[in-house]
Amino acid sequence: MTQLFQYEDDREVSSAAKVRALEALLIEKGVIGSDAVDAVLQHFETVAGPFNGAKIVARAWVDPAFKQRLVEDTPKAIAELDLSAGMAGAEGEHMAAVANGDGVHNLIICTLCSCYPWPVLGLPPYWYKDPVFRARGVREPRAVLREFGVEVPAETAVKVWDSSAQIRWFVVPERPANTDRLSEQELAALVTPESMMGVALVASPAAA
Amino acid sequence: MFTRFEEYAAASMLGADDSPPRLDGKLFFSNRWERDVFGLALSLSKAGYFEWEDFRQCLITAIARWESAPCEGQPRWDYYERFLEALLDVVGSRGVLSRDELAHVMVARRPATATHTAARPLHSKNH
Repeated sequence: MTQLFQYEDDREVSSAAKVRALEALLIEKGVIGSDAVDAVLQHFETVAGPFNGAKIVARAWVDPAFKQRLVEDTPKAIAELDLSAGMAGAEGEHMAAVANGDGVHNLIICTLCSCYPWPVLGLPPYWYKDPVFRARGVREPRAVLREFGVEVPAETAVKVWDSSAQIRWFVVPERPANTDRLSEQELAALVTPESMMGVALVASPAAA
Repeated sequence: MFTRFEEYAAASMLGADDSPPRLDGKLFFSNRWERDVFGLALSLSKAGYFEWEDFRQCLITAIARWESAPCEGQPRWDYYERFLEALLDVVGSRGVLSRDELAHVMVARRPATATHTAARPLHSKNH
């Protein structure tokens, strides 16, 4: 490609124009349908992502019986909620929840590659695949957590869950203080992907 | 284990040089066109016009070209400009579009006004 880095003054407008011209041409040729882009991205935007995990955690916080069912049979409990169809099926069948609290803090890793519960957590952060994180997460989880800003008391056990193709773990973090008056939806807004990986705590609204 | 194509495609890039920007577990797009070019690449590969790995190699090459350019005159880093460059490369090399059709795309300077896409509502942020 010649003149590779010769840009117009307004690169954003130029790039947008090229993309739209490309899409229009592909649609006119019948290569893709007019809704192809939206259809494929819908998976990331509305079907599978951390918004699902946040809803699950918020329900577990307001409904202890649901929380119990969630850790006992995660797919069955998730099926109780009104989540998108992408939550069911092969991916969802392999998910398992572990709850923080009662003297236990949970951390999820994948020592083999980057197995991750996509339907509830979305895209993993860049460091999840990092060999150093994976190795240290097993060898010295407390030190790793400390570097993430999570100081786990000595009397609290740290459990490390190794995800695989067969089972993909996620954490139900502890409900933060001062949230008694929050609605389930407001509670869900507090939940971050990192807290569902166990590398962060959920901040109370005052501290958020 | 069955994995959806969308997840396989995104996962194959994570931790590598061609990893897409993301924030809080979601893909991060600063502009609508970035979302659209990502979706176009996924749509075309999912439909079988090229292997996702072939696209990735084009993307890695496009990134390497930017990295190896002299500092003087080097444009600021823009992931999705390299992504668009890679998509045009693979679409051309796989014969999805002809040379003339690609030239038509390359000379586009302003958003088209009478196409399917122009009728779609625009969103500057999608996250």
